[in-house]
Amino acid sequence: MWFRVAHIFQTFAGHYSLQLKTCVKNKVPLIRCQFMPHHRMLVLTSCKKNEEKKVSPDKLDLDIWKTIMKETASEAPKTCPSEDPVDAFSAATREMVQMWRLAGKAVPENITEEQLSIVQELPSKSAKKKYLKYLAIKEGKKKATKEKRKIKQEGAEYLQKEKQNGGGVELKNTFLLQFWQRSFDVMYNWRAAQSMLFGQPLVFDMSYESNMARREMENTVSQLLECEGFNRKSLDPFHLYFCNMMPEGSYHKELLKRYGDAWDRLLITVTEKSYVDIFPKDKLVYLTADSPSVLKSFHHDKIYIIGSIVDKSIQTGLSLANAKRLKLATARLPLDEYLKWDVGAKNLTLNQMISILLTVKETGNWQEALKFVPKRKHEGFLPVPEQKYCNQFKNHQNKTRIDNGPVKKARRQKSTLNLNQGVEKSSNKKRWWLDED
Amino acid sequence: MLVQPLGSLAPHLQRVLRSPRAHQAVWRHFPSCAVPHLHTSKNLMSSELKQSDANQRKTSKAQLERIRRADTGSPFSVFTAGAARKRAESVKSQMGVELAETSTVTKVGKSLVPLKPLNVDDWKKLKTESPNKTRFEVSMMEKLLSARADIDVAKSLLVFVTMENGTVEYELLLKYLALCVQQQHLTEILDLYGMMKTRFKILDIGAYSLFISGFSKTDRWREAVMFLDSIKKMVTPSPRNYGDIVISALKHKEVETAWMLFKEMENKNLKPTENTLEAFFDYGKSFCDDQYENKVMYILFYLRDNQIYPGKGLMQSIHSWFESIPGKQWEGHETTILHSGKCPVCNTLLESIQLSVEEYHLLRECVMNDIIQGTDTFKKTTPQELQHFQTFVKNRPPYDIVIDGLNVANIAPKGNQSKILLDVVSYLANRNMRLLVLGRKHMLRGTRSWNKGHMADIQKYADCFFTENISEDDPFLLYATMHSGNHCKFLSRDLMRDHKACLSDQNTRRLFFKWQRGHQLVLSRYNPGNRMKFEIISKYDTIVQTTQDTWHIPYDEEGVERCSYEVPRKWLCLRKYN
Repeated sequence: MWFRVAHIFQTFAGHYSLQLKTCVKNKVPLIRCQFMPHHRMLVLTSCKKNEEKKVSPDKLDLDIWKTIMKETASEAPKTCPSEDPVDAFSAATREMVQMWRLAGKAVPENITEEQLSIVQELPSKSAKKKYLKYLAIKEGKKKATKEKRKIKQEGAEYLQKEKQNGGGVELKNTFLLQFWQRSFDVMYNWRAAQSMLFGQPLVFDMSYESNMARREMENTVSQLLECEGFNRKSLDPFHLYFCNMMPEGSYHKELLKRYGDAWDRLLITVTEKSYVDIFPKDKLVYLTADSPSVLKSFHHDKIYIIGSIVDKSIQTGLSLANAKRLKLATARLPLDEYLKWDVGAKNLTLNQMISILLTVKETGNWQEALKFVPKRKHEGFLPVPEQKYCNQFKNHQNKTRIDNGPVKKARRQKSTLNLNQGVEKSSNKKRWWLDED
Repeated sequence: MLVQPLGSLAPHLQRVLRSPRAHQAVWRHFPSCAVPHLHTSKNLMSSELKQSDANQRKTSKAQLERIRRADTGSPFSVFTAGAARKRAESVKSQMGVELAETSTVTKVGKSLVPLKPLNVDDWKKLKTESPNKTRFEVSMMEKLLSARADIDVAKSLLVFVTMENGTVEYELLLKYLALCVQQQHLTEILDLYGMMKTRFKILDIGAYSLFISGFSKTDRWREAVMFLDSIKKMVTPSPRNYGDIVISALKHKEVETAWMLFKEMENKNLKPTENTLEAFFDYGKSFCDDQYENKVMYILFYLRDNQIYPGKGLMQSIHSWFESIPGKQWEGHETTILHSGKCPVCNTLLESIQLSVEEYHLLRECVMNDIIQGTDTFKKTTPQELQHFQTFVKNRPPYDIVIDGLNVANIAPKGNQSKILLDVVSYLANRNMRLLVLGRKHMLRGTRSWNKGHMADIQKYADCFFTENISEDDPFLLYATMHSGNHCKFLSRDLMRDHKACLSDQNTRRLFFKWQRGHQLVLSRYNPGNRMKFEIISKYDTIVQTTQDTWHIPYDEEGVERCSYEVPRKWLCLRKYN
């Protein structure tokens, strides 16, 4: 209907389109101009031609966005800031990342030179995408915490102001000075120092440097940090040993990076030597999920070894091979005996391991200790006739030393079977040969 | 004329199917073999019919004989295409679980897409109604894309966006581009390219890919090569990127460009798509010179070297290309190969499955280094044990069959394990085979399932080697079999996929698979007290192959899921008449 009206304004067409251009330039939403006649005008100038061709009016303005885009194009060709042509390749990568961002892919907003070089080194497109997604998620988390902190700060400031307005702070009458974090630290360090003198050793085997990728190594070190923290805060800490630690190796570098100056003040023993050189061999027990024998109770005179490895590509039998080579006893946690396993691998993270070991060391109660196993991996605890299990075990206690002679071993395994026959049946593929029925 | 032989066959087939053995309850214990077996005897009718159609020299007597042979040894081995699928089905049906057919849950339009172009006000209304206001435009465009909506609707959406914001975001443009490519609006793609080129300095890989597939359908397909170069600057292009350009180059009779790109793809270790290869055969019909023929032969050898099996579509292209060569009378037939390795159409004997001497030595070396020792001998065994085993094998004359004791003993869920093993071992020993049984030490302990008496008997019939309980026995099995020489077979139901994966490169993996197909015995039927049956080892290699005037090309049937460790059953036989 208003096409007719348009004819009246036809002569002004040039003028209006010019106005529209400025409108776009200033990014004024055009929709606001709709009531103005000149906007309508622009629509109509192209429509008029079509009208004669008898095309349905709906179709008329379908290509207008192109004209607008083309007009704006000359104004904004600098969506990508031109880089210095120093390193053309890295510039290209940076641009690619930017375009991916525009295309709505999960890539970080800002990327450092170091990260960029990592991206370039990655061999495939999917590896690049994965790494960039990781960076994007990391960036998002950082932003979120920043925001939270800001809000918190604002809240605190507001409270402060309230207080000031409400008059001076009332002093409390207490018989203790405020217990600062510093005091806690002193206490923890005191305990850790004691454990270094008298505590039970717990060894982390750091010989898996070559078996891990960069991300896995980073994760391992994070877990080690948590381990050390949890151990320090426990009532009766272990004396931690980091054995087989190569100076200037990737473990060392990453640990230094994370701990900073605190690394030299840490109350743990770090050594290049192997655990077999430090401790008597018959006291050592290598904890590995691949082991055929079960750790039935925690021994205070044994030295347990945990392989510090995060294994995202499935390499089975790595730590078992190590133990076999050195002819050490091995054991795995009694997960199947106590838990109704559901999903997930039986290998636990390092911090879960140390939590479990510390708890079982303190309480001797597996049910309590295995609460540190992630809930998603199991459906709940099995009703274990615990009393019987423990009592019977005492008779066999001297047998837990793991022998190298195959005949003895076989006998020992048989005894294991008698102990937990009821539980054993459930589902244990690994030791199916024990199944006598 | 065709009905006649079928009519005479039918009663026999029925007899076969109703034969008491087929109905014995025992076969349920062997899910891997029994069901496929039955299935093939049913299928046989149609395939036989085809063959008789192709080759009328065959008498019905020969066919009967062949059916009988098929009955005595199922041609459907574990390595035949679709075997894994059938196994899964039979296991599931045993467990009483209905095999969930791939439920086609179509996304029922919970969010409806406008069917006609809307004007600005309608879009505005729609946007205020939609729950997702920030990304309304992009998500709407995605919906349009998945609903394959009319392009005009998308255009009207873009108009709305420009009216709102004064510009269109890159992401939205990209989605729109995808829509254009999906529906092949070629002029629109060209327009869009012009626009995006002026707006953005470079584009992302997704956009380049879309432009490649868009441009390669137009006359400006040469520019697509340029896009490919831009992709190369950032990542390795995908086989589809290459394929799109190759197809259009062939369409425009630019064989050299297509060939160059194909070679480049090969150098980058990219596997060309089926469509790309199809194009070489489809468009090749129009320009047939010697040079092009050489190229096609190169492609066929490429298929052979990389063990690529064409699909049905590609097979038909190859078929019609051969028949279109002027001067040479090629004739093609679809067929299945006989057990003897003879093609029923042209009576050519196919290539043997046996490895050549060099290949065999190479494989033996690789198995020793990669599978048994690996990076760490302690992972699978210990050096002492390995040493012990090696001297054990060396000091004895070569074996005929190496038996995986634990695998064989567990073939039936019920029954005494040592008894089963003893049955199998004595059966084979009575046929004058030199046997080696591999097991673990716990088998000797004398428990209810591992009777000491049985074990002693087994040791009378065969040499035995028992590994530690925590060692793996499969590597020993492979080593002993390979060490005994080319005639030696091994008996196990294990598909050895994890060991194949330990091998370092693709070529040795292929060799291993070929060796495995030629040397693995699988117990297909075991019924205590009755005779047992082994799956027939095929005598021929399933691979694209040629002689002077024939080509034999295995291809994937439609509707049959083939796993990576299976080989196709159907063949295309091409024969030249001079």
